[in-house]
Amino acid sequence: MYILEIENVSKVYGTFSALENISFKIDAGDFVGLLGVNGAGKTTLISAISGINHFSGTIKVAGYDVITQEKLAKLSLGVVPQEIAFDPFLNVYQTLKFQSGLYGVQKNKEWIYEIMERMYLSDKANVKTKALSGGMKRRLMVAQALVHKPQVLILDEPTAGVDVEIRKNLWDFIKELNKKGHTILLTSHYLDEVEELCHKIIMIDKGKLVTQKTKADFISANEQLPTIVEIETQDGKFSDNLQSMIVNRIDNTYQLRLENNDQLLFVLNCLNAIEAKILNLNLNKPNLEDVFISYLKR
Amino acid sequence: MSPFFVLIRKETYRFLTVPVQTIFGPMVTAFLYQLIFGSQFQHAQGSNVGFEYNTFLVPGLVMLQVLSNSFANSSSSIIQSKYTGNLVFILMAPLTAIELYGAYLISSIIRGILSGMAVFICIAWFGNLTWPHSWATVCYFLIFGSAITGGLGVIAGILSTKFDHLAASQTFVFTPLVYLAGVFYNVDNIKIPSLQIIAKLDPFLYVVDGFRHGLIHSFNSDVVFSIWFVGLFAVLINFIGYLLMRSGVNMKH
Repeated sequence: MYILEIENVSKVYGTFSALENISFKIDAGDFVGLLGVNGAGKTTLISAISGINHFSGTIKVAGYDVITQEKLAKLSLGVVPQEIAFDPFLNVYQTLKFQSGLYGVQKNKEWIYEIMERMYLSDKANVKTKALSGGMKRRLMVAQALVHKPQVLILDEPTAGVDVEIRKNLWDFIKELNKKGHTILLTSHYLDEVEELCHKIIMIDKGKLVTQKTKADFISANEQLPTIVEIETQDGKFSDNLQSMIVNRIDNTYQLRLENNDQLLFVLNCLNAIEAKILNLNLNKPNLEDVFISYLKR
Repeated sequence: MSPFFVLIRKETYRFLTVPVQTIFGPMVTAFLYQLIFGSQFQHAQGSNVGFEYNTFLVPGLVMLQVLSNSFANSSSSIIQSKYTGNLVFILMAPLTAIELYGAYLISSIIRGILSGMAVFICIAWFGNLTWPHSWATVCYFLIFGSAITGGLGVIAGILSTKFDHLAASQTFVFTPLVYLAGVFYNVDNIKIPSLQIIAKLDPFLYVVDGFRHGLIHSFNSDVVFSIWFVGLFAVLINFIGYLLMRSGVNMKH
């Protein structure tokens, strides 16, 4: 079953086309990364799914049309917006309690305390939201999106301004939710996070869908991308035949750019020919970031 | 409790957390008006309001605060939510436009009436008041009067994209209309006919006069006309407000 269906979604601001006929579907329980540079249309698309943006086309959440079955669609959805948002009149606990009520959820005190604990906000329960730091406000927004245990959770750069340790714990929590069946759609500029967490990648650029693939396919489809090999030799001894391939040198360690994997044998033969003793060798396969950049260059 | 009632509760809680601004402030303002104007005009020639001036002034000042506070509630809540970004959490919640609109409106009416009651307690003893002439009329004009300004507050909040816009609508449109609506004087006493006609075009005049009639049995305007006019005007304003809320103008992109 598809939990999120986007069909021919377009959005125009005056003469600027922010989204152009975007279509994709997400399976229930999937963990999907939505990638694109700033201004690619990610937030516009998320706003359309959330019901805070007018658009043309069709969007369904858990089978419910976000226009004609707005209430049911919204009940299935939790969204962490990109911009920091807070109600200055409420404290942390009240924010989550009122947020629960807005989704018709009552008597969920235990769940509220659990998400406050998982978001490291327990000691701030009675603190007014306006007194929280930027990172705390962002964690509160994640908690707000989770109060009604939505089937689909959309995270629009949820870790911006959040420190490393709490970020790791946040992702552990999100992974747990995903394992319990919640579908996650994530945008982040931390591509290592996306690479670690997501099973599927959807990439948009200039309002258009560029590609949608499983993460493995996304990366393997780009094996022609250059591989970087790091070689440390004794006394820095190196073959002149390899000079054109060197991209960097730090002390006795050389970084070489291989256009294909066959070149590795050539490198080893050259070093063997001059009897260079190899102390360390690391092969860096293209990662998500390399693939992402290569797509942008096309 | 349904999401609709939760939003009403949230909006009501919001103004109750700042009682100095929303309850005690209006009490002090009304007390000062009553003290200064009452003492100055109680025995002045030409006040000609048909009652002791202090008695005449009490319902006017109560309604002034009812109207001002219900306007302030919805307008400030919406513009503040836009600024803090919190509006997205309201818009993303499973509430229809009519529920959203209704919640803002009802909480504005609640604030208007609570402020009015607080002001009444504070200044009633200045006047020579007895049991209200008509409780039904008093309640009608309290509810429909604050519904008009609560609705206008929603409209102002939606249309304003800056605090400046809201301040402008309040300073140049709303406040003059409310202050000139016979709060402090009887519009029939205006000597210049053209000005009197203009004064009688002020819709808040009928709210103030209707409420005054219910409270002290005064006859500045035709009560039946006031009831119809205020009721229909409230429906019209709130229908426009609802259409704006549904369209999402300045709220959705």
